[in-house]
Amino acid sequence: MALINVAAREIHGKIVYYGPGLCGKTTNLQFIHGKIPQNGRSDLLSIATETERTLFFDFLPLDLGKVHGFTIRFHLYTVPGQILYERTRVAVLNGADGVVFVADAQRDRLADNLQSLRELAHNLTNQGKRLLEFPLVMQYNKMDLPTALPTPVLDRYLNTIKVPRFEAVAVKGTGVFETLRAISKLVVNKL
Amino acid sequence: MFDRLDPTLTSLIVSSEESEAIGACLKRLMDETGATHIMLLDRAGQIISWQGGESRMQEMMHLGALLAGAYATSREMARLLKEDGFRVLVQEGMREKIFTETVEDRWLLVVVFDHQAHLGLVKVLAKRATQSLTGILHLVIQNNESRRSQFRGGIRKAAVDTIDLLFNDDSAPSPGQTTEKKPWP
Repeated sequence: MALINVAAREIHGKIVYYGPGLCGKTTNLQFIHGKIPQNGRSDLLSIATETERTLFFDFLPLDLGKVHGFTIRFHLYTVPGQILYERTRVAVLNGADGVVFVADAQRDRLADNLQSLRELAHNLTNQGKRLLEFPLVMQYNKMDLPTALPTPVLDRYLNTIKVPRFEAVAVKGTGVFETLRAISKLVVNKL
Repeated sequence: MFDRLDPTLTSLIVSSEESEAIGACLKRLMDETGATHIMLLDRAGQIISWQGGESRMQEMMHLGALLAGAYATSREMARLLKEDGFRVLVQEGMREKIFTETVEDRWLLVVVFDHQAHLGLVKVLAKRATQSLTGILHLVIQNNESRRSQFRGGIRKAAVDTIDLLFNDDSAPSPGQTTEKKPWP
């Protein structure tokens, strides 16, 4: 739930990047972090395994600027994608104001995407959220790969509730900020 | 009381008066325990109020995110063990210790202290502080809906326009909006 601190003139929100293992959640945050002007940049905190897979979460505080004297500050998180960490994903999702579902567009990852999406829906419902009203954006990542499924196919399988969706190549930054802008607007609209 | 809090509620507004009362409560706890830093976090790890030197602000922001994650994880552990929950978390290092206690499962009171303060004293005084903070939390929740409707007028549209501007969108910002940062990327 977003926090509006009148005394500090701050609005805080939490956005979680969710999706199957190796879909590019951390890459999204790394690209955003690399593009933030240095004077406003905080460290990107990553709790990772020895092999650089996310163990707990990545965390990036992001200061978007001021509106009516209030600073808008989003905390961006990723969840660990590996199946083993299902309960950790529940913990990180706790208190989220919006979710970016990062799907791996490759044909052989479709089943993993579907499983992760079902799990997300289940976890949000368990946390008392109404899925159809919850700020959710979808990103189809790795669209540059020859094994990527076409967007209409991904839409048919993954985006049945027709949330805003973006094609992306996160490693090159394609679609990263479009996705962030869309989820930021959805979160702000729910204040 | 907390059963009535709608889980789909999207924002919680803390007024200046409530922030002041929270600040006074944290300051008193800091004075009495000799802690180096004290924070009140919401469940998502965002800092509602804090006491301590400004030089460690960024560290504390990261600490907030980690502690909220650790607390949420401990709740999941409790669920697996069929416990109601673990009310406190304690981390003990060679130089510093961290004591975290939940306030009605909505907020987290975090006390960072060194060898000059004693864990037993911190526990007792933090318990008393959480009782005061519970009273403030009740007020925040009670007044939230009326404040939200007052607060929302105009700010949503301006915020959306600001986001478009920051991300180099063509749409023009609303009058009265202030943007103190250059658009990026």
